[in-house]
Amino acid sequence: MAILRFGSLRLLRGLLTLWFAVTVTFFLVRLLPGDPALAVASPTMTADQRAKMLADFGLDEPLLLQYVNYLAQLVQGNLGISFRQSQPVLDILLERLPWTLMLTGSALVLTLIIGLPLGVAAATHKGGTIDRIVQIGGVVGQSLFVPTVGIALLYAFGLGLGWFPIGGAIDSDVYGFEAYISMARHLVLPALSLVLLQIGAYVLTLRTNLIDALGEEYCNVARAKGSSERTVVWKHALRNALLPTTTLVGLQLGFLVGGAVLTETIFAYPGIGRAIYESVGQLDFPVMQGAFVLLAATVVVANFLTDMAYGFLDPRVRVS
Amino acid sequence: MSRSRPEGMSDATSAAPADPMVLPDGGAPYGSPRARTWRAFRRNPLGTVSVAMLALLVLVAVFAPLIADYPSGYGTEVLSGPSAQHWFGTDNLGRDIFAQVVWGTRTSMVVGLGAAGLAIVLGVAVGVSGAYFKRLDTPLGMLVDLMLSLPVLPLMILVAALAGPSVSTLVVVIAAFSWPEVARVVRSQAMPVVTLSYVDAAHVIGGSNRWVLFRHVLPAVSPVITVSVVLTASRAVLSEAGLSFLGLGDPSSWSWGAILHNAQRSGALSSSWWTAFFPSLAILLLVVAATLCALAYNDARNPRTRQDDHR
Repeated sequence: MAILRFGSLRLLRGLLTLWFAVTVTFFLVRLLPGDPALAVASPTMTADQRAKMLADFGLDEPLLLQYVNYLAQLVQGNLGISFRQSQPVLDILLERLPWTLMLTGSALVLTLIIGLPLGVAAATHKGGTIDRIVQIGGVVGQSLFVPTVGIALLYAFGLGLGWFPIGGAIDSDVYGFEAYISMARHLVLPALSLVLLQIGAYVLTLRTNLIDALGEEYCNVARAKGSSERTVVWKHALRNALLPTTTLVGLQLGFLVGGAVLTETIFAYPGIGRAIYESVGQLDFPVMQGAFVLLAATVVVANFLTDMAYGFLDPRVRVS
Repeated sequence: MSRSRPEGMSDATSAAPADPMVLPDGGAPYGSPRARTWRAFRRNPLGTVSVAMLALLVLVAVFAPLIADYPSGYGTEVLSGPSAQHWFGTDNLGRDIFAQVVWGTRTSMVVGLGAAGLAIVLGVAVGVSGAYFKRLDTPLGMLVDLMLSLPVLPLMILVAALAGPSVSTLVVVIAAFSWPEVARVVRSQAMPVVTLSYVDAAHVIGGSNRWVLFRHVLPAVSPVITVSVVLTASRAVLSEAGLSFLGLGDPSSWSWGAILHNAQRSGALSSSWWTAFFPSLAILLLVVAATLCALAYNDARNPRTRQDDHR
């Protein structure tokens, strides 16, 4: 039962975050000086045309009513109509969402796969060469500018060595199994940029937690029983060190999504980030607003899943 | 961009070779704590090099007009590589990239310091009041948590696009979404301080809340604030570069992100490496220098990691 209670509390928190995100953007968009109506209205419009257009978009009603309407529409999955493409925002974005999910998801998985052994190596050789390299790399990695990383990878592996395509998400003339290969090849460089961006935080956190865990009594007990150091590290200490590291996933998600916006721009990757970049150029506010809401929802869902996984793995969390 | 990773930071700090506090022949470290911190900081080559780097960048920003002419007008040499005449090459309109980077330093510095200053004031106010006034702690903590779990860059993009691109927009937007991180760090540092007995004593002698806060609580958290200023400023520079790279920079002034934006939009990026390399290098130098500077300061302040000289 405890897990149910824990789950519903987390769900409530997720919904609260989402409501906050939606409300903040709604009022920002309506109250900031950049009048969205001016962005769509062309200077040649007459006053009548302008008034009609405002009415069409529902922009002539009282603010609070607009807010309630917006929430009501949102619950039904309506994010409004794009100013430029005369298409529902949700349709435009849902077409893009799978690409962004694939990019950020594979970046996260790769980060964990590469980061885990690095963190273990650094923690078990504390003060050694590997440890120094991991620490310096971790600090420098956290100061990188995403486009710089993307551009550097693009030059080295795309233009220089020609191993990977420099943009797009898939070749147009491939089918079946080859399509998957093509997708994977297009994914490598953008995903790698995101991995480089966030891996430092994971490795450094895992290292600290593992060093702490290795100093605990239960590890000494395991050693005293005659377990090999390998068993102590991988079976006993790592399990406990991984738990607090999971919480970092939640903290980093918003950051990862922000990185994806820049990475997708560099590599012309057709995800939500690229849609944001394009809508900035066209001042298409409904798309920008919808993209933010959708990304916030993604982060909230991912956070919820992480929390639940944490709750299942560590009984202490769901009891307290 | 603006999210700090305190776990990584604090860890890298504590992992510096620890001095086991064995004082040779009974000598005690001398001088005030501040003087000792400063001496330890100066002895750390990482610290001095990074401070020198930051100082150099500030000088470039201040004296930009003396170093290079404002990059305007179109040149005849389009996309020429680095040469004696154009140290960093030229862009797709023949403008000198060295001049762009020099003038870009100015914008990046102004936005970075301006946004960091605003974010620090807000963040410290929220963080300290959360720790000090127990009744405010829950609502403020919730606000900070909510802000921290949002994807900040897309939110900044939306606001910057609405408010119209200008340097002041950038400063306000970046500050508006950077303060929660500061508030979180400051609150966690102020929490133990407000329970210390000297704070109680200050109350007992009849000190007002304001006096206790400014005279006793704030000085205790000031080292964290110092580190926060440096880290927040470097993150603000990254945010500014990110927004400018997406085309949301101030169109009337050069910035490092704007140079990259031009290179990306004109397609020069893939044919002329120098259009991307030099602004990227400038960003990297500034941010790495700021990060190392903060780390070195943390090390120097911590009696367990610094090596005091003894007499």
